[in-house]
Amino acid sequence: MASQAAFFGLFLYLFLGARYTGQDYIGSTVQRFFHFDPLLALVTIVSARLVYAYFAFALITVAATVLFGRIFCGWVCPLGAVHQASSFVFKRTKFLKPPREDKASLAPKYYILVAVLVGALVGLDLAGYLDPLSFLTRSFALAVLPSLAHALSNLTGALYALGLTGPARAISQTLENWTIHTTFLQGFSVGLLFLGAIALNARKERFWCRYLCPTGALLGLLSRWNLLKLRIDDEKCIKCGLCTQHCETQANPYPRDKWKSGECIYCEKCASICPTAAIGFDLSARPEKLTNVSNVNLSRRKLLLTTVAGLVAVPFFRLTPSHKRASLKLIRPPGALAEPKFLAKCVKCGQCMRACPTGGLQPVLTEAGPEGIYTPMLVPKVGYCEYYCSLCTQVCPTGAIKKLTIEDKNKLKIGTAWVNKSRCIPYVLGKPCIVCEEHCPVSPKAIKLVEVEAQLPDGTVAIQKAPVIDIELCTGCGICENKCPVMDDPAIFVTSVGETRSETNRLLLDISSGAPSDPYK
Amino acid sequence: MNRRDFIRGVAATGLALRIGPRAFPATSATTGLSAAPLPASPTVLAAVEGESPAAITREAITLLGGMGQFVAKGDRVVIKPNIGWDRTPEMAACTNPDVVRALVELVLEAGAKKAVVIDNTTNQAKRCYVRSGIQDAVKQAGGDMLFVDDYRVKRMALKGEWLKEWEIVQDIVEADKIINVPIAKHHSLCRLTLGMKNWLGATGGARNQFHQSLDKTMVDLAAFFKPQLTVLDAYRILVRNGPQGGRISDTELKKMVIAGRDPVAVDAMGASLFPVAPNELPYLGLARERGLGEFDLGKVRLEKRKI
Repeated sequence: MASQAAFFGLFLYLFLGARYTGQDYIGSTVQRFFHFDPLLALVTIVSARLVYAYFAFALITVAATVLFGRIFCGWVCPLGAVHQASSFVFKRTKFLKPPREDKASLAPKYYILVAVLVGALVGLDLAGYLDPLSFLTRSFALAVLPSLAHALSNLTGALYALGLTGPARAISQTLENWTIHTTFLQGFSVGLLFLGAIALNARKERFWCRYLCPTGALLGLLSRWNLLKLRIDDEKCIKCGLCTQHCETQANPYPRDKWKSGECIYCEKCASICPTAAIGFDLSARPEKLTNVSNVNLSRRKLLLTTVAGLVAVPFFRLTPSHKRASLKLIRPPGALAEPKFLAKCVKCGQCMRACPTGGLQPVLTEAGPEGIYTPMLVPKVGYCEYYCSLCTQVCPTGAIKKLTIEDKNKLKIGTAWVNKSRCIPYVLGKPCIVCEEHCPVSPKAIKLVEVEAQLPDGTVAIQKAPVIDIELCTGCGICENKCPVMDDPAIFVTSVGETRSETNRLLLDISSGAPSDPYK
Repeated sequence: MNRRDFIRGVAATGLALRIGPRAFPATSATTGLSAAPLPASPTVLAAVEGESPAAITREAITLLGGMGQFVAKGDRVVIKPNIGWDRTPEMAACTNPDVVRALVELVLEAGAKKAVVIDNTTNQAKRCYVRSGIQDAVKQAGGDMLFVDDYRVKRMALKGEWLKEWEIVQDIVEADKIINVPIAKHHSLCRLTLGMKNWLGATGGARNQFHQSLDKTMVDLAAFFKPQLTVLDAYRILVRNGPQGGRISDTELKKMVIAGRDPVAVDAMGASLFPVAPNELPYLGLARERGLGEFDLGKVRLEKRKI
């Protein structure tokens, strides 16, 4: 418990640290947690066919699991802590009454694991959807924290109305200071999934850990030879069965020969609930029988079927025309790898979106195909890419977004801005504006002003300064679109074309500057 | 304004700054004699040049009679710099932090209860506050930095000629005294952003629509906020790619602070550094018509120092 609380606290601290702290470079934050996750390590390395050095930390988890079993699940995993805490609440409030003996199959998580690994082999990264660290970080970043901020913000409104300016100001200044005021397009669905995962605990204690978690399944498979063994003192045991009834992960401590070392997460609930203190854990080199590791019936036929199902599922995740032509609104964060590699590495944790100071990085729903759901894209109408900021590149746990200095980031193009002359105020209404130009952060500016004639409905002509884009200078940051006074559909907008990371999403041929040759002479 | 007024204005500016012969050789040579500052004029403008931004700020306030002229004991004073951009001081996009620091110190020395520094920024607020250097400067000087809070931006009647009502940052209008601390910069629509343009940072709402009639907006806002004092930071000014620049080569060192009670005169004096004549800035004319001040520097009592 203490260990879980400590790690959850550390997780939260690192998670909140992924923001603009006043330093341009924020060092290591919550991505370090991810580096200890063997499933993410395995899947991203296999699916992207790229080794990412930080994942060496995952070997520590592997070694710990081989030696001591799934202590990661019981002592470290912050999502495990959330599930345990909510299970506790459900039990206390009698929503959850564990049966004397639970015979439900523990196999689903192993099948999920197989499907994820099969996906990785063909370059599909599905780990992020159900990996506990990804799931928790995404839920917190896109749903929990924004809801909390929303509630606190409403509270400040109420406090101001009551004349309590001091506390109201303290809250609002903190929200601004910690960049907890952004909202996300998919916050609703991410939040529902998170609440759903918690609600499942009302059915079974640690439902997620028992039946769904592919990371837990992988660690379970690794724990066959672990040295930490359950011990039941037969002289003390009164065969009450409380330990098995209240085992958090259905590891069946009693009878001892049915104990599943691959399911046990060493929460020691059995030891603490035992009325005669008959249960303890010893170090012992004796390997468990394979059937006892998780005691699930992973038949060869079912495994084969899962593998085939995984392979069949792959094309469904690829059903998108965006492989042939880039999606115009899919503006990836600066430093994002080329799209196939990016999709193979991104674990959809939402950490880049949490770090983005303007809230412009938003989870994708449809723009990147089914495998791209919850990957990040810049939505300039919501927030733009801040010129002197490279935080999103610093917090990515898998290197799907390459770490960049601010100078390097500003040499990249993430898209190109376009003027919609049929909506732009000077072009159409003949009124002055120049808002996009004044916000353009590059110097010299990528938005130039030229004098244009606007034909007005009354037949007169108005001459105004109007924007034109120098696409060589434009980085695609999107501040022009964000600040455009045409509210509904900005008259200047960014699309992904020209992005540095793509060799195909190009605009102009890079024709050499030599004199053009005339084939007819 | 006729041509003669313009020439007088330019010449007076040039003389006052002693850059006339370089900046306006033709006009100052022909009409220089006619433009001596009028000693009986009620307006006092201080322009101080020197190496230290803090020292010239303090000297300018001393020339105006000290901060006690503007701030009473127990006042809650709001100091409104331009912190609009995520740029460091050498980019000259935001007010010089040492100028702000000196003003916070002076205000507190004059017995004010609180010195609050606030701006509704364009880039992300915290980045602007931190990277402009203003947050640190204000905290060291004992002032309070405040982020604009959505719940503290309310639609108010401005009773302007163009702007009838708009969203206004309440923390600014509720102050006992307001001090405007803009920086002198190039701007591609209103040519120069000086003191009056700085009030856009005290508004909320869809303020990017102001640009459709920026001159009138600036004057309406200046008439609404009525600062006690305007201190224009011209230590390093932005001469191109305004209003945020981006390279040091976009800036020029002028090492000057211009302070005064009259916001129009301060802006006119600031314009002379670029050099832009007051009548090339329509908002100065509009402001004078509205009785906000005088842009003809020949009619202004100007105190100049170099320290």
